[in-house]
Amino acid sequence: MTSTVEASNLSKAFGDKQVLQEMSFGIAPGDVIGVLGKNGAGKTTLLELMLGFTAPTAGVVRVFGHESYSLPGDLKARVGFVPQQDELLDQLTVESQLRVIASFYPRWDSALISRLCDEWGVKRDTRIKSMSVGERQKLSILLAFGHQPELLILDEPVASLDPIARRQFLEQLLTISADGQRAIVFSSHIVSDIERLANRIWILKDRKFDWQGDLDSLKESIVRLHIRGAGAAPAELAIPGLLNLQRDGAFATAVVRDWTPEAQEALEKSASVQVEVEALGLEEIFVELHR
Amino acid sequence: MKAVARLVWSYFTGSPVLRAFTLIGSTLLLIDFYLLMTQPWSDEKLWLAIVGLILLFIGSSLMPLMFGRLARSHSVGVLPGGRLKLLVSAYITILLVALPVGVLSPASLISASISLPEIMKDPRMRGFVIEVAALTFTSAVLFAGWMYLAMWFLTSQRNMAGLFKGLLVIMLVVFAPAQEIRDFTVSLTWNLQQLAVAWTVFGAGFLLWPRFKAARARRNRERFAGLIRLFTGRAAGREFDVLLGTSNPWLLVAALALPLLLMTRFVGDIPSVWLYFLTIFSAVTGAFSGQAAERSRALWLRGNWSRPELFAAVERSVWRHNAHVLGALILLTMGIGAYAHFPAAMLASGLPLLMLGTMLSTYLGLMITRGLRWLEIVCGVVVMLLLMVLAMLVAREIVDLSAVFALEAGLVVLAVSLRSVARRRWTQIDWMVCRPDRALATRDA
Repeated sequence: MTSTVEASNLSKAFGDKQVLQEMSFGIAPGDVIGVLGKNGAGKTTLLELMLGFTAPTAGVVRVFGHESYSLPGDLKARVGFVPQQDELLDQLTVESQLRVIASFYPRWDSALISRLCDEWGVKRDTRIKSMSVGERQKLSILLAFGHQPELLILDEPVASLDPIARRQFLEQLLTISADGQRAIVFSSHIVSDIERLANRIWILKDRKFDWQGDLDSLKESIVRLHIRGAGAAPAELAIPGLLNLQRDGAFATAVVRDWTPEAQEALEKSASVQVEVEALGLEEIFVELHR
Repeated sequence: MKAVARLVWSYFTGSPVLRAFTLIGSTLLLIDFYLLMTQPWSDEKLWLAIVGLILLFIGSSLMPLMFGRLARSHSVGVLPGGRLKLLVSAYITILLVALPVGVLSPASLISASISLPEIMKDPRMRGFVIEVAALTFTSAVLFAGWMYLAMWFLTSQRNMAGLFKGLLVIMLVVFAPAQEIRDFTVSLTWNLQQLAVAWTVFGAGFLLWPRFKAARARRNRERFAGLIRLFTGRAAGREFDVLLGTSNPWLLVAALALPLLLMTRFVGDIPSVWLYFLTIFSAVTGAFSGQAAERSRALWLRGNWSRPELFAAVERSVWRHNAHVLGALILLTMGIGAYAHFPAAMLASGLPLLMLGTMLSTYLGLMITRGLRWLEIVCGVVVMLLLMVLAMLVAREIVDLSAVFALEAGLVVLAVSLRSVARRRWTQIDWMVCRPDRALATRDA
């Protein structure tokens, strides 16, 4: 089966500013990828490179086997996108906007959109100009769902939604992803949403992936160690993959990455300490990686 | 007061380029003042003053933009005295930009006639110089105020309403001083009356706007829903144009026709003035094609077109829109020509002028795929100057047809070149660089 997206050695610079550097990745149907990164980490750039809005400075990104920068129409019709800032037309009503966008696609699920409009409380006769930011965001999401895309890219889609709307949106995404035929890539600063929905995580740092893999592996890899020495804690603990270390008398707390049972055994033997491993939540992992 | 001072400082020095303009403009004005006070009058001093004033005005051009953005922002409603301070900062900026005119005009009188001590001794001379200073200063305040207002409308409201309001103000700015000079109606009292009314009305409107807006929101706006839909709701079959913003040329036609009809009240039958305005109006269409690149971002994922094909589709759509506007302008020109007794030669060579104005501005607009940079600004200024030269040639009593046709042929070549540049840029259009302002303001990298 062709990968939904494939990128190799992808780099992007704006003038002198290098935003992304030599990134390689693949996205397969069924993947739900959560993209995490600090402000300015390059999340939007990465997503918009996949959409062909901008050309890579180096490397290549292919969507459905075709270069994204020159994606043909039949492949574009298989892509849905929710931008960070909506691109709605203020002078239209919701109904008109839906019709305008629907007209561009050979396949449009009006029944799904009608149902979602009812469930999400989007009134079709409202003028877009008079809608709140959250309502506009709901409509933007609806516009991306209507043609049942196989690749759905969402750039911070829930930033403006209230908790109920966010929950409805996440449930809808779960429904969409349930058939395993579609790929979803979404960036968000709401880590709990990513933790709930994504089966793969991309963490961007210093223009590259700091982590790229499934959520469970990430949680197994980055852990907090509670280290207890026989007497006072050893002054020099040789801990592999150390991210952060705090000492308190006979105790030490360390956050490590790429942690394995073998590494634990080795540490316990070499430093004569007892080590307890505590699993971290995604938010804590993100914070620890960016300390 | 500190906030007001900080705002004014930011208007003049907000970016390195503007800072340079302000600095050079102020320096030239100071040098000019020194020369006027120490040396006899010469034409060069006048040009020095004009260049200095233009640079200073450009240096402060951040004011209408910042003013507009802050006025619309929520923060200005939360800051203590936010709207009042913003308003005062705008008024101070206008006064500062107009001040050199009020100083240099009497200085030029002194330079041209007698020395300052002699003038101060003579009460009549002293009175005259003070009156000239007050008159030129108040005129400059009025002129600068209107110019900033036009800039505010054009930069902060990038829609029909903004364009219409901006055009009306520009018309007023261009026409009113000419009328006063022609009719010798300018006086200090009249200037002060205009200033008092304009500043009070604007100030009160600006300060009371949030209340007015809230009251308006409470009213049932559905009364006008049918009318609004009539103008904006017809989207079926023209979805591409709707997304590009070119689906309804009639609002622009109305926005251009209405000021022209109002002008019949003032301009009378002076063909050259009419031709001048019609040329400016024909170039307005460029403002619309200038938004095509950023609006086409929404089209990229929705159709079977490569970047060059998208340019071709956009070009067709823009021309569908602009052809209506041009057609309406040509009809208006013929109507005005009959009313103002345009000579046949002027009409024959004036109509291509309108077509060229539309063509050039359309492709100048389509060239803007990376925001407005120096090249686009320079091209815009050159194109407007060439169009004005052509308008002048056409408006002469005896039209030199060979010169007119030569220049028109040159402008056609220029239009073709601009199209070629636009097309080349669209083949590499980058929608991360070219995107609407509001998205730029908040997006991450």
